[in-house]
Amino acid sequence: MSIAELESREIQLERPQGLWSEAWQRLRRNRGAIIGFGLVGTFVLVAIFAPLLAPYGPREQNLSLVREGCCPGPSADYWFGVDALGRDEFSRILYGARYSLLIGVVSVAVGLTFGLILGAVAGFFGGIIDGVIMRLMDIMLAIPGFLLAIGIVAMLGPGIWQIMIAVGVVNIPIFARLLRGAVLAQRENDFVLAARAVGVPRRTILGSHILPNSISPLIVQGTLALATAIIDVAGLGYLGLGPQDPATPEWGTMLTDTIRYLQTAPHLAIIPGIAIVLAVLGFNLIGDGLREALDPKLRGRA
Amino acid sequence: MLRFVVRRLLLLLPILLGLSILVFLWIRALPGGPAQALLGERATEEAIAQIEREYGLDKPIYVQYWRYLETVLQGDLGQSVTTRRDVTEELRQKFPATIELAIAAMLFSTFFGIPLGFFAAKRYGGTFDHFSLVASLIGVSIPVFFLGIILKYVFAVQLGWLPTVGRIDVLIELEHPTNFYVIDAILAGDPAALWDVLKHLILPAIALGSIPLAIIARITRAAVLDVQNEDYVRTARAKGMPPAVVDRRHVLRNAMLPIVTIIGLQVGFLLAGAVLTETVFAWPGIGTWLVDAIESRNYPVLQGGILFVALIFVVVNLLVDVSYAFLNPRIRLS
Repeated sequence: MSIAELESREIQLERPQGLWSEAWQRLRRNRGAIIGFGLVGTFVLVAIFAPLLAPYGPREQNLSLVREGCCPGPSADYWFGVDALGRDEFSRILYGARYSLLIGVVSVAVGLTFGLILGAVAGFFGGIIDGVIMRLMDIMLAIPGFLLAIGIVAMLGPGIWQIMIAVGVVNIPIFARLLRGAVLAQRENDFVLAARAVGVPRRTILGSHILPNSISPLIVQGTLALATAIIDVAGLGYLGLGPQDPATPEWGTMLTDTIRYLQTAPHLAIIPGIAIVLAVLGFNLIGDGLREALDPKLRGRA
Repeated sequence: MLRFVVRRLLLLLPILLGLSILVFLWIRALPGGPAQALLGERATEEAIAQIEREYGLDKPIYVQYWRYLETVLQGDLGQSVTTRRDVTEELRQKFPATIELAIAAMLFSTFFGIPLGFFAAKRYGGTFDHFSLVASLIGVSIPVFFLGIILKYVFAVQLGWLPTVGRIDVLIELEHPTNFYVIDAILAGDPAALWDVLKHLILPAIALGSIPLAIIARITRAAVLDVQNEDYVRTARAKGMPPAVVDRRHVLRNAMLPIVTIIGLQVGFLLAGAVLTETVFAWPGIGTWLVDAIESRNYPVLQGGILFVALIFVVVNLLVDVSYAFLNPRIRLS
């Protein structure tokens, strides 16, 4: 490397890019992440504009369409076919996006909020508080996530709010552990020591110094948790623990009885399933892309 | 090594104790309390009062907990509300079915996952690598039950190659001394029954094993890529060791550590994922048992089943930790 090159490097170093703008640049070049944003964007738009896009209502029945063999498949009038009660599958899928998105976001928000508080408190204060909180989290992690969710739904009774709470609670220890680790790593940093030395109150240090610096692993985990939440919610719905009104167009619930019609109407099972896969795939792609983009080890290699 | 194992075992105690408290409190948080949970919704006041006296439910909560702990430690998990049989007895019958399925799924995912990840790393950046990345990404995005339904549709309904439900054809008679049907068939020396049992295992095992397969392939790929650039691998190549020997003796052996860990960590997923897989294939294991228990509000079964599964999960994680320490001296000495 020539001296001129070395100098030009140093000049570059004088204006370092921020973590976020650099991450954004890397994310834009990640083909997988772009596909992920496309899928999730479509998913969100469909959820918002479902009433405008859907040709029929999600509960609208036309029993004359259902013949003995059950349920005609896709046609020009009914793009994704008709279900066992004569409802338009396409409209139900569009409306179902609302439920999956809402349930996913709310349950991750529940897990994130409580996990954030518990993890931050445990990591920042340490000592007995840390011990008690983290042992509690260990106990929750000792039950496989989906089973814990089933146990909670069994306690609260089936229903849409109940599955949101259940999936949210399952997420709490994951976020708490993650944040505690990040806080512990930040606590010993010089800028925290400096803030402490000049007498900044603990709460302010936690809120304005430690948390902002621990945020990137949380964003990655949050995105991936959304993917898992959608799968878990669909699983609970499939087991019949979701919305108790069977007319609710929730994707998992829509799959429940389809095995009976597998021979005559496979579209009833395949279409909601593909909708779930695409939504989950979208969040997974974004999560993976974000992880690579925000990884400090990869910084500057863009 | 012994000190490490003892220390990990001691750390396990508070977790198990906490778990028992959680499960104990869980049944007390049910609407109507445990007496109603036991008797069902239409129980009369007197019946509830009698049950509460009988089971000591009128005593202070810590006394109740102590009694609960005593009975559980004696291996008594109560009685199923629907069948009136001991929960432990039903467990003994259902658990082998789930384990058999989990082992089959694990074998499937390891046998395909490790080679897939290995060859993807060997052809880093090539077509096969890209293909395996895309495949594993889709693999982790498919819900277990949806994959189960699809497999059932293609191989059972459309092609008719494999059976759709259960563990064995109803017309085949087989004694079940172990409840592991594969072992039972071998013990009975009945090749036709063994073949039938294996045919029933294939689809559920693939459905359950697909996500672990994707994860194992990803980890193997990353581990092999890591190890491949190590100095000792370069040295081995430089001294003229045949590439296949380098791969086997240096690359794979050192890449095995993270792979073994991740395989162990899949056990929790297999136990939980089995709930959905078993429902799709009407597999008479712990999963269908628990789901039926929710529908019939069979709380003793739920309580005992969840406690038992959590116990298995914790113990397996411990074994993974210990084997990890066994493979890597740096951990047990730190």
